[in-house]
Amino acid sequence: MSKITVPIGPQHPLLKEPLSFLVSLEGEKVTDSTLRLGYVHRGIEKLAEQRTYIQNVYLIERICGICSHVHSTTYCQSVEALLKLEVPKRGLYIRMLLCELERIHSHLLWLGVLAKNIGLNTLFMYAWRDREIVLDIMEEISGGRVSHAVNIIGGVRVDLNEKHLSLLQKSLQELTMRVEEILRSIENDRSFRARTRNIGHLSLEDIRRYCVVGPVARASGLDIDIRRDAPYAAYDELDFEVPLMTEGDVWARSILRILETIQAIRLCTQIIRSLPDGPVSVSARRRVPAGEVVSRAEAPRGEVFYYVRSDGSQNPARLKVRTPTLTTLITLPGQLKNMQLADVSAVIAGVDLCIACGDR
Amino acid sequence: MNTEKAVNKLQDVLNLDRSITKLMPLNEAEITISKQQILLAVKTILKSGIWHLSAITCQQLENDFILLYHFWKSGGLTLRIKLVEKNPQIDSICSLIPGAEFYEREAREMFGIEFLGLPNPIPLLLPDDWQGGYPMREKKQLSHEEPKVKTRQQKGKTS
Repeated sequence: MSKITVPIGPQHPLLKEPLSFLVSLEGEKVTDSTLRLGYVHRGIEKLAEQRTYIQNVYLIERICGICSHVHSTTYCQSVEALLKLEVPKRGLYIRMLLCELERIHSHLLWLGVLAKNIGLNTLFMYAWRDREIVLDIMEEISGGRVSHAVNIIGGVRVDLNEKHLSLLQKSLQELTMRVEEILRSIENDRSFRARTRNIGHLSLEDIRRYCVVGPVARASGLDIDIRRDAPYAAYDELDFEVPLMTEGDVWARSILRILETIQAIRLCTQIIRSLPDGPVSVSARRRVPAGEVVSRAEAPRGEVFYYVRSDGSQNPARLKVRTPTLTTLITLPGQLKNMQLADVSAVIAGVDLCIACGDR
Repeated sequence: MNTEKAVNKLQDVLNLDRSITKLMPLNEAEITISKQQILLAVKTILKSGIWHLSAITCQQLENDFILLYHFWKSGGLTLRIKLVEKNPQIDSICSLIPGAEFYEREAREMFGIEFLGLPNPIPLLLPDDWQGGYPMREKKQLSHEEPKVKTRQQKGKTS
């Protein structure tokens, strides 16, 4: 059978962001694939060394257009640890609220992308319609739909008022109903199952070897969640479950993400119910004492890692960012092997890539 | 606790001084080892039940390069290695942890660290025909100069 190589990307209808795949085919079967990153590499780690700690909060938010808040949360957390600052409880709760709203928005966005890639346009429309509810809440709270600029070093810059709380209560109730309905309709849907079951399988052993994190790891049975295992902000005060599945294919990843969305809505409800009183931030010094710190947080796609070294000046001496996409990208060639070309779209969408995060 | 066990085991296996472990903020233990010990250290860590490598951070302190291997399981464990040579080299850990490939490739192209045994030593983020040296090394301030990459038109003219 003749062998051909099909380029997918850097610009391709399947991909929402630039990434290059070279897929070698034998007939319709994928025999090999290579991937190439760097099309949105902006040198943010180097740029950060030339900006002050405060300017960096806004630079860091530009790493990603979907999970911008969790990036600035992790960064602020590490600088606060160097400054030995204690952020007021109310500030932490508002941070967590935005993190969870972002998780709901990211998962619904992803569900839409997957649905579109596998040809279920109605699901795509429903998922993105429901995502608007979250975006409206976030716009009301922070003024921005995806870039919130809510975090500052020492807390958050916005406070929640009665209007926000009543909007949240009303919207979250509606959202719960809609997400549960999506879950009911796709759980037993034949076409959805046919396009996603046994596609892009990753075994537990592979997940460990490649150090994969987040929903992709949990869908293969690896019980890992930074919010529960190494609580940051005030996650240790909240009660939530970490959904776990063992199938390890695109189907399991989809169901797991929807279950996670339901948990995130529950977390939001808990946060607004037990929101402490008091200030939302404390003032921080501009010069950060010399030292090194490592900080982790659970982004919608898994563990985000930050390393900050300070030499006592206004700018960080080194800032390292490791995003969860890098861990899942490395598994893609293995997942694609022996797949049909038509399933490549489901596999690529299934791991929830965020190339801007990966490239930085 | 898992991290503490791993730290004790590492100190026994590598004959390290007990006093060199320091705790960074946010529950992070750190151990300094020499570059010859890297494979043995990683093997010991894997054996003690920690298998998740969060990241490899590379940085330059004047003429030396510092590599930090950040492991995690409930708590963090960081291995610190100092490379003092002009052409820094170290063994690749990809044979033990295949997930380290991207981190090593990034440190290779940004700082010029040679990882011996790296399975796929091609650029990860920079263009294939990048000629601007190692961008993350010190004394390379960003400027608004033209990028040192040939455009398609220039390539066409030379060939």
